[in-house]
Amino acid sequence: MAARTRLPLLFPKNLPPFRNQKLAHTEAAVKEPAYPPIVPSLTAKSKSARVRQVEEVVQQICASPVEEKLSLITRIQRMKFVVYPQTFARNADTWYQHFTKTAYIPGLPEKFSLSPERKTGGEEEQPAAVQTTVPGVGHDGFEDIRSLVTRVILQEYWHLKKRKPFLYKEQEQMVGPFLRNLVTGLTFSLAKNNPLFLTSSLDIDPQVNFYWRRGQRIIPKGHRRGRQEPTRFQIDDRPNSQIRITQQLPQFTPLEDSYAAEVPEVTLSPNVMPLFRRQYDNNIFTGAKLPDPACYGHTQFHLVPDRYHRDRMARQQQSDQVEVFLRANALTSLFAWTGAQAMYQGFWNHEDVTRPFVSQAVITDGKFFSFFCYQLNTVALSVETDANNPRKNLLWGTESLRLYDSVQDGAVVGLNDDVLKLLVQFLMNKQ
Amino acid sequence: MPVSRLLYPLYQLGNPQLRIFRPNWFLTLVRPGTEQPPDTVQFRIPMEMTKCDIKNYLENIYNVPVGAVRTRIQMGSNKKRNHRNQKIKQPDYKVAYVQLAQGQTFNFPDIFPEKDKTPEEGSMEDMEQKFMEDERQRQKLDPRRGGVTEWFGL
Repeated sequence: MAARTRLPLLFPKNLPPFRNQKLAHTEAAVKEPAYPPIVPSLTAKSKSARVRQVEEVVQQICASPVEEKLSLITRIQRMKFVVYPQTFARNADTWYQHFTKTAYIPGLPEKFSLSPERKTGGEEEQPAAVQTTVPGVGHDGFEDIRSLVTRVILQEYWHLKKRKPFLYKEQEQMVGPFLRNLVTGLTFSLAKNNPLFLTSSLDIDPQVNFYWRRGQRIIPKGHRRGRQEPTRFQIDDRPNSQIRITQQLPQFTPLEDSYAAEVPEVTLSPNVMPLFRRQYDNNIFTGAKLPDPACYGHTQFHLVPDRYHRDRMARQQQSDQVEVFLRANALTSLFAWTGAQAMYQGFWNHEDVTRPFVSQAVITDGKFFSFFCYQLNTVALSVETDANNPRKNLLWGTESLRLYDSVQDGAVVGLNDDVLKLLVQFLMNKQ
Repeated sequence: MPVSRLLYPLYQLGNPQLRIFRPNWFLTLVRPGTEQPPDTVQFRIPMEMTKCDIKNYLENIYNVPVGAVRTRIQMGSNKKRNHRNQKIKQPDYKVAYVQLAQGQTFNFPDIFPEKDKTPEEGSMEDMEQKFMEDERQRQKLDPRRGGVTEWFGL
């Protein structure tokens, strides 16, 4: 009878003293939970219910095949910022670097060195003028390519008689066909040296689309006032031509190296850039539909339109914006392409890429060529996933390099071999 | 050239360029309502001015290198009513956002900086402030009563 026993004044801690020693050598029994785990409600009007709804959607997307993933991610239409790769906005490249979390590195990665001494194996002693070989393409091959390029230039600018172009149609009429012929000619002639091109696909005037979310803002007015809304972006790009391959290009630098890169932060609203919002279909497209075997990208070729031609910019005293425009164009086009490639492999916002996606671009206005390389290290750009994400995307780029001086009397004057070498090296990039 | 009620002649290729000497237009530099990038300056301009006019105005009169200009027209509200319930219209105005070239930046200055309100010793304001403080102190109750009013007690 516990109530009538007289307990001692000092209550001993072990009572009875030897009880615990019996259980010293047994393990704790694992109890199966008798009830399901306690989770927040799914349909209540509360913040935890909203969080759980979002989690359910994320799990559903992770568990579905790639086609369904894409359609679930791009299902709901909302107002989004339309990012144009070729934009009139000033200092667009800092803004676009912030939207896509890309760091710009001037110059190209070590693979494409502009100085030929390191690349050509045993020809270090020869003078620079004779070093016209690229590994993989012999001396004869390079001569063939040079003659091909001169042929293409002469065909468009000398032999063909073209009408005087109408306002703002000059690039489309004069340089567009030149670029297309150059690309097709080079790919076909380099197919014997680069086996990737035998199973590749060359698209003329393809479409590349990408849709992503980055950052958030507080809705200022309306029935959803005061709540957080993610800022959505869409890129719809039409490069002049692109090459898609069946295998992925090797990475330029390991993923971890991008942790140290710096991305410019812009705290202002994209509105102010100026960037405009629209609501329409969210598209993610590399240039071919999902079942296409050539799902990885190799090189894109872009044409600088008349509106952003360097002569016109010089007339308006905005020559410094020419390079800015080229960088912004390369950045957005390549980000959209690599991002779409990653999405086609099943990586998205909450499932980040396990291997870097690499692509290249060449932007030209007929005479000046700029070369860009892009490495996509992360696709997780929205607020929840970006909080602890040290990875950044990387863009390497050159200044504009002149390919030739002019065409006179049926001959190309001043054909620059370095630029041709770079172009060939770009196209020869393989596993 | 007077600018009020003027019809500009239609420009055709080869015509002489329209030149305005001594324009009758005045720009007002304003503080932006929403945050703008550091190279953007916001002006209120007369309705008749265009983007090209602003560029030429700033470059020729003030030697300011102008990169890009964007304009919009802000409607003044017609919502307020006077004592006779008639609608009162606030005037419309045009706003120009000018982006400066050559990497220049502009930060709208603080026109009304915070001043220290401590008056100097011996002046009228100082004596008035001390007097008001004494009055307020006298009105307060005895702190030893702990907030209880004087209605209770003796």
